[in-house]
Amino acid sequence: MGKLTPKDLERIKTAHADDGKDWIKVGMSTCGIAAGADKVYALFVEEIKKRNLNIQVKKCGCQGMCYSEPSVEVRVKGLPDVIYGKVDKEGVIKILDKHVCGNALVKDSIYELRTKR
Amino acid sequence: MGAKIVFIKDTAVNQDTTQDFYVHFSNILRENALEGKVQVVRVADIGIYGQGLVVKFPEENIIYANVQEKDLKNIVDKTVRDGQVIKELLYQPEPKQLRIVLRNCGEIDPENIDEYIAKDGYRALAKAINDYQPEQVIEELKKSGLRGRGGAGFPTWLKWKLTRETPEAQKYVICNADEGDPGAYMDRGVLEGDPHSVIEGLILAGYAIGASKGYFYVRAEYPLAVERIEKALKQAYDCGFLGKNIFGSSFSFEVDIRLGAGAFVCGEETALIASIEGRRGTPRPRPPYPSVKGLWGKPTAINNVETLANIPPIILKGGAWYASIGTEKSKGTKVFALTGKVKNSGLVEVPMGITLREIVFDIGGGMFSGKGLKAIQTGGPSGGVIPKEYLDTPVDYENLQKLGSIMGSGGMIVMDEDDCMVDIAKFYLGFCVDESCGKCVPCRIGGYQMLNLLNKITESRGELTDLDSLKRIAVAMQKASLCALGQTAANPVVSTIRYFEEEYKDHIVNKKCRSHKCKHLLNYNVIQEKCKRCRVCVINCPVNAIEGDKEKGFFVDPKTCVRCGKCYEVCKFNAIFKE
Repeated sequence: MGKLTPKDLERIKTAHADDGKDWIKVGMSTCGIAAGADKVYALFVEEIKKRNLNIQVKKCGCQGMCYSEPSVEVRVKGLPDVIYGKVDKEGVIKILDKHVCGNALVKDSIYELRTKR
Repeated sequence: MGAKIVFIKDTAVNQDTTQDFYVHFSNILRENALEGKVQVVRVADIGIYGQGLVVKFPEENIIYANVQEKDLKNIVDKTVRDGQVIKELLYQPEPKQLRIVLRNCGEIDPENIDEYIAKDGYRALAKAINDYQPEQVIEELKKSGLRGRGGAGFPTWLKWKLTRETPEAQKYVICNADEGDPGAYMDRGVLEGDPHSVIEGLILAGYAIGASKGYFYVRAEYPLAVERIEKALKQAYDCGFLGKNIFGSSFSFEVDIRLGAGAFVCGEETALIASIEGRRGTPRPRPPYPSVKGLWGKPTAINNVETLANIPPIILKGGAWYASIGTEKSKGTKVFALTGKVKNSGLVEVPMGITLREIVFDIGGGMFSGKGLKAIQTGGPSGGVIPKEYLDTPVDYENLQKLGSIMGSGGMIVMDEDDCMVDIAKFYLGFCVDESCGKCVPCRIGGYQMLNLLNKITESRGELTDLDSLKRIAVAMQKASLCALGQTAANPVVSTIRYFEEEYKDHIVNKKCRSHKCKHLLNYNVIQEKCKRCRVCVINCPVNAIEGDKEKGFFVDPKTCVRCGKCYEVCKFNAIFKE
C-alpha cells in the first residue's frame, strides 16, 4: 500500500463512508466460531451466489452478545438494522428469503436493534 | 415505503406471553383494516427486562412498557395510525452501556485496516506525532485520569512518566495480553475484534515514553487473536504506521509478538519480562520497578490490552472528555465479561460508577436459572465475592476494594443459590495453587495448606479451628508473598469467610452443604412414598449401593454410596432426595 500520510487517512475515511449498500455481518471471534459462525458465513456466501443476490457478506468481531452467538447483523434498505442471534442453517435461509428478499423481518430471532449512531 | 414495523416482546421474568399478545395485536390490526400496512415482529430480546409487555416502534424509537391488552386499541388508533405518542405508556430507558474500548468490536472487519481507518483509526497517532510533544501526550493522559485496566489500577500517565524520565537510551513498551483469569475474556474480544486499536495505543505509548521497540505478549491459547494481531501488524508496517520515520517524523517504532506458554503467573509484569527474555517465567522482588529496570534491564512500560485500546480515543477527543465519564477517582469505562448464571452472558462496557444491579439485571437480563442471586465474583482468583446485599454499590476501584474484592481485569461471575461458597473458594484457590510458580514459600506452601484445609471442610472432616488457621495463613500469604499472585491468592477464601462464615460453619458443625455442591456432605436416599419400585436407580448405581427388593422397598447404603448423583438423575418420579 505504501506509506500513508494524514491526508490519506481522510481519503480512506471518505471512500469508506456509508455507500447505502446492503450488507450482512457475521461475528467471527472465538465465541462466534465456537458456536458455528464459520459455517453460517460459508452458507451465506454460497446461498447468495446461488440466488444471485446483490448483498455483501462481511466478517466482524464479537458484538458482545456471546449468549446469542452465532450472531448476524443485517442491513437492508428500508428496514432497521437488526442483529439476529443463534443463527443456524435454517436461520440463514430465513434471513435471505424474508429479510433480504421479502422486505420483512424474521420473527423470534432478533436480539438487538442497532440504534443509529 | 414498506410496512410500519412494530417490535413486541413479553419481558416479564417468569412467563412469556409474546405469542398470545402477537395474536391479539394481529386481530386488532385486522379489525382496523391495517393488516399489510403494519409488520408486527416478535423479537427474542428487546433489551428491556421485567417491564411486562413491551411494544417498540424502531423507526420513531417509541417504546411502550407494561402494556395491557386493553391499551392495544389506543396504540393502534393513535401511534400506528397517526404517529402520536401516548405519554402514559411511554418508557424511556437510559442507555446503560457506553462503548469506548469496544467501539469498533462487531462493527468493523478486524482483518481490514481500511475499515479501522474509516472509523478514525490512526488519526490519534497522526495527531500526536504532528501536534504533540511526548510530554503533552502524557499530560493529556493525566487529564483523562485513565488507570491501568489490568487490575491494580495504577495511573497510566504516571507509569509512562516514570518510564520516560529514567535516563536510558533504549526503552521498551509491552502490551500485556496474557489474560488468564477464569471467566474473563475481554482482552480476547478486543484483540480479535479490533486489533488495530491496541496497536495504535502501543505505538502511542512508545512515542510518549521514547521507546523504539514494543512487544505483544499474548497467551498461546488465543490462536485467533495471535493470527489477527500478526495480520494487523503486517498491515500497519505496510501503511507506514510502524517502522522507520512514522508520518515523516524522526520517530521509529517496531513491534514483535511473543507467545506465552500458558503460565498464569506470566501475567505478572516481572514474570512476563523474564518470559520474554527467554528465562523461566518467575517473578522477582520489586523495586526496582520495570519503569526503571525492565526488559533486558532497560526501562519498560507494561500496559494491559484494554488500557492501550483506551489511548487513541483519549488523544483524539482529549483527556477532559474522558475524565467527564465515570466517578471521581475512577474515570472512563470498564469492559466486563459477564458470565455465570446470568441470562445474557457476554462482553459489556459500562461507565464507572454504574451499580452491580444495573449490570446484572438491566444489561444482563437477570438470572438464568430463575433462582435468587447469591453473590457476584469479580477479579478472578485475585478477587472476591460480593454478596447480594451490596448490589447497589457503584462499581469503581475503591468501592470494590472496600468490599474485599478487586476490579481485576474484568471477569464478573454471577452466582445463584446453587453455588456453594466454600466450593467456590476451593476452586479459585486450587487454581492459584496449580499456577503458583513455586519460587516463594508463602505462596507455594501457604496455598497448599489452605487448600488442604478447604478440602478437609468440604469432606466433612472440618473443625472450627480450621477457620482461624485459614485466616492466619491468608494474612501470612498476603504479607510475605513475592508477587501479586501469592498476595492475592487467599482473597477468595478471605472474602467468602467474611460474608458467608455461616455457610462455612454449616459445613463444619452440621456437616451440611446447603447448596448441595459438596458431595461428601450429601446423603442420598429413597422417598418410599414416591418410589414406584421400578429399579431404575438400582440398575444405574455404579457401586451397587441401593439395596432392597420390590416388597420391602429400596434403600441407599451410605457406606457404599459414592455420592455420584446418578440415582437422583435417572429417577423419573423424583423419589430420590439429597440433602
